[in-house]
Amino acid sequence: MADALSIGVNLEAFSQAINAIQALRSSVSRVFDCLKDGMRNKETLEGREKAFIAHFQDNLHSVNRDLNELERLSNLVGKPSENHPLHNSGLLSLDPVQDKTPLYSQLLQAYKWSNKLQYHAGLASGLLNQQSLKRSANQMGVSAKRRPKAQPTTLVLPPQYVDDVISRIDRMFPEMSIQLSRPNGTSAMLLVTLGKVLKVIVVMRSLFIDRTIVKGYSENVYTEDGKLDIWSKSNYQVFQKVTDHATTALLHYQLPQMPDVVVRSFMTWLRSYIKLFQAPCQRCGKFLQDGLPPTWRDFRTLEAFHDTCRQ
Amino acid sequence: MGVTCVSQMPVAEGKSVQQTVELLTRKLEMLGAEKQGTFCVDCETYHTAASTLGSQGQTGKLMYVMHNSEHPLSCFALFENGPCLIADTNFDVLMVKLKGFFQNAKASKIETRGTRYQYCDFLVKVGTVTMGPSARGISVEVEYGPCVVASDCWSLLLEFLQSFLGGHTPGAPAVFGNRHDTVYGPADTMVQYMELFNKIRKQQQVPVAGIR
Repeated sequence: MADALSIGVNLEAFSQAINAIQALRSSVSRVFDCLKDGMRNKETLEGREKAFIAHFQDNLHSVNRDLNELERLSNLVGKPSENHPLHNSGLLSLDPVQDKTPLYSQLLQAYKWSNKLQYHAGLASGLLNQQSLKRSANQMGVSAKRRPKAQPTTLVLPPQYVDDVISRIDRMFPEMSIQLSRPNGTSAMLLVTLGKVLKVIVVMRSLFIDRTIVKGYSENVYTEDGKLDIWSKSNYQVFQKVTDHATTALLHYQLPQMPDVVVRSFMTWLRSYIKLFQAPCQRCGKFLQDGLPPTWRDFRTLEAFHDTCRQ
Repeated sequence: MGVTCVSQMPVAEGKSVQQTVELLTRKLEMLGAEKQGTFCVDCETYHTAASTLGSQGQTGKLMYVMHNSEHPLSCFALFENGPCLIADTNFDVLMVKLKGFFQNAKASKIETRGTRYQYCDFLVKVGTVTMGPSARGISVEVEYGPCVVASDCWSLLLEFLQSFLGGHTPGAPAVFGNRHDTVYGPADTMVQYMELFNKIRKQQQVPVAGIR
């Protein structure tokens, strides 16, 4: 309802206008009925003619009245806003072949289903968190105080909040610097520079990390027109491997209710790569395996392992 | 430009320079490296002309002008302990114009030529150092592309060098000690080559085996 009002359609006037259309239709059909019935049976010809004309005029007047009423109401109804609120998905609804490609209706169903699922999952996690299985009394430590109380959905967060979280994480580690930019809409893109070892491009969706690309310190991270290049891979095999590991990490660190904790843990894990070329493998003790240094960092202990040496 | 280590491989006992180079390249190919073309690094020496020396009797300085096929559009000019200039290839023409101040010692032109190998992120160049018509030694250059800070990856480079050089692995180059956290550049590689060439010039000529 609130959406309709914001669009500019006056629903009250809309329903009245529909009633007015019905009234207009009935008065027009009365006119034609009157014409069809013809003159009523009266004593004199003039009497019949006069009665007929009067009746006909009454009907025409009522048609005129209803038409005026309808015009007045249609001016009140207003126009829906020009810009399509559904953006690209709304363009899908223009596809006429509904039975062969029912994309739009399926899309709407999937969206409603996922919204409901998220809502129910939120309720369930709230109930389950009350019955904690952990033995320790303190829950999350520091972040519990800083987390805002009301977070109805973590998928739609104001950009300012995302900026604040990222700038706080930026100040956490001295050797890691994070630059935030929004070249494509509301999703944030971070350029994380870790010492003189590597650069990471992180593409986010509100506070959730979507994709990462890891490149060397000396490699170019911008395209020819100066925008951040989020697609091309690194030229070096070691950084291609670290990109794969980073993708595994962002799938591993998951906590839907507290995405800022997730981002913090991911950055802590990433920071362990400052010693990418200096740390030997904890299992075999060597630096190189197939020409690669230990690229895997354990998710809990942050120890360095070769990709083939990890358990 | 990644961190690079340039070293000399001593010629094996009873073998010629070419045979030792072949041994090395075979070891590299067994390791899994792929051949990727050739390379060439050369060095010319210039003395400061006598006419420009002051009356106090300063000793003339030696200037080295070097080229590296890895950077084909550049020319490197450096003094022994001094700065290194990275210039355009037109610098050679400029040196001709500066004949009055710098004189070319044509006999001391030295160069190394050989093949490039790529193994994972390592670029290995094994070359024969020649001065004039004679082969004087073997140069081995290993570049590790991903890392740009020298002090970080010396242990890694050492392990790689040991895997194919065996017992002839060198110590850490002097340039690594000077620069702690600064980014490694091509000038540092050329300084290493200059030191290598100077060392080879001072060595005795390698006996040419097999030609009796």
